Amino acid sequence: MTAEVQKYTLEQIEALEVAPGFEHEKLEGWVPSLASDEEVRDALEKAFDYRGDVTITTKSGDKIEAYVFNRQTGATLQDSFITYFAPNVNGKLKMSYAEIARLEFSGKDRAAGKHWEDWVKAYNERKAAGEKDIALHPDKLE
Amino acid sequence: MAVPISQMWTVASYVLKKRFSGQKRYPLVLMLEPLFRCNLACAGCGKVQYPPHVLKRMLSPEECFAAVEEAGAPMVSIPGGEPLLHPQIVEIVNGLIARKKYIYLCTNALELKRRIHEFTPSKYLTFSVHLDGQRDHHDFSVCREGGWDLAVDGIKEAVKRGFRVTTNATFFDGTDPNSVRAFFDEVMDMGVEGVVLSPGYSYEKAPDQKHFMGRARVRRLFRAILSNRKPNWKFNMSPLFLEFLMGDRKYECTPWGSPAYNIFGWQRPCYLLQDGYADSFKELMETTKWEEYGVASGNPKCANCMVSCGYEPTAVIEGFGSLKGFWGMVRGTFSKYKDPHAQKLLAEWKTEPHAPLVQIETTNRSLEETNA
Ligand code: SF4
Repeated sequence: MTAEVQKYTLEQIEALEVAPGFEHEKLEGWVPSLASDEEVRDALEKAFDYRGDVTITTKSGDKIEAYVFNRQTGATLQDSFITYFAPNVNGKLKMSYAEIARLEFSGKDRAAGKHWEDWVKAYNERKAAGEKDIALHPDKLE
Repeated sequence: MAVPISQMWTVASYVLKKRFSGQKRYPLVLMLEPLFRCNLACAGCGKVQYPPHVLKRMLSPEECFAAVEEAGAPMVSIPGGEPLLHPQIVEIVNGLIARKKYIYLCTNALELKRRIHEFTPSKYLTFSVHLDGQRDHHDFSVCREGGWDLAVDGIKEAVKRGFRVTTNATFFDGTDPNSVRAFFDEVMDMGVEGVVLSPGYSYEKAPDQKHFMGRARVRRLFRAILSNRKPNWKFNMSPLFLEFLMGDRKYECTPWGSPAYNIFGWQRPCYLLQDGYADSFKELMETTKWEEYGVASGNPKCANCMVSCGYEPTAVIEGFGSLKGFWGMVRGTFSKYKDPHAQKLLAEWKTEPHAPLVQIETTNRSLEETNA
């Protein structure tokens, strides 16, 4: 955490009646420009937060589908790394930021559209329509 | 307090040993998440929002045992996802019992009645059943009508077969304290060992939730709920943590008190906040910038957090680590917390229409931010 994101004093926190939530960025389909080191770092930070797969094109031309779950930032792009899972590969994989030529937020954002407000609205509508056993069900895994 | 003496003794001697050895940071409960897959789809649950190939991944029993031995905590909580969906969960549980760890198997209990015969009662094993209040409240909270009935059937069967069972609830803004108190009556009647409860938290990965209950509101709600206790209510938690929720104590977070391990590795800094992962427990402890988390850090991500995984370790360490704390714990165990103001607060509480657990508040009451 850097100094600029420090927002609250202890007194404010203690008196907090309502805490603001978080804005959910719409990143699905986004292809960030990776023109500068700063842009690469920023894009991979967003990939780390993203709840879907991204497609990485490496500088050697390989295309890799990845769920990025960790990042380790160093002084240069060479010594900064992402760790990811790829479909159909068992273990954890690692790649240097410097190897990445293109990034696309290609996979479905699994956090999108699952708002509490949507559930409340859908529930009330379904209830009013006389529906019984109203429920949300997990997505199919196949 | 509902916790058996043997468990209290194990935790107390562990805390004292760590204290006398001069160790500054040590875990009390390992949060072991063997998978993220779930058979519920609660709106706003950030734990299950992953692509299918990630949801299909699981920790093997060997990975679970290695993590437990690495951390060395006397207690292991197994949340998820839904642990009963793990095909080797019985093997994992039995392996942890063999290692004499006190296990809290956190389950939504949809499958509990059907699976209970696979487990063996033990003082080391507790089923911690997710029940977010009375029937309607719970069903609405887990986005499934009928969820309460299935969970309660599971609880009753587990109690009947001699298992330790607790219920585990998270309460958000809009919670009706009178209903929560009626809920305590209902679950104590089911024969559970005790109740576990925690306030909700502005979980960053939760999708688009705009406002969450701040600390002042948390304290008001829990003062209304937990004062003037009925004699039969039992809590499977530190009385000092409950006093913290009621506003009688000020605590700082102890994020290393409940480290989390899952398919990604050791989660920094805590079970709730995902700020990256370490490959080993040692690396987690030594390289996490702990000073950047907790209330005193000013980190907005921790601003309204009063949850048990961060603050109960603080209470437990105080309770078993000092005479004053120990005395506070003994007093708290027997106190009914008589409080006429809380009684009035309860009597005048404005109940809200349905959607009682909605975490969203009107925007005009949001906190003024400084130096943002
Ligand atoms: S206050 Fe502690 S438990 Fe809560 S989010 Fe921050 S680090 Fe985690």
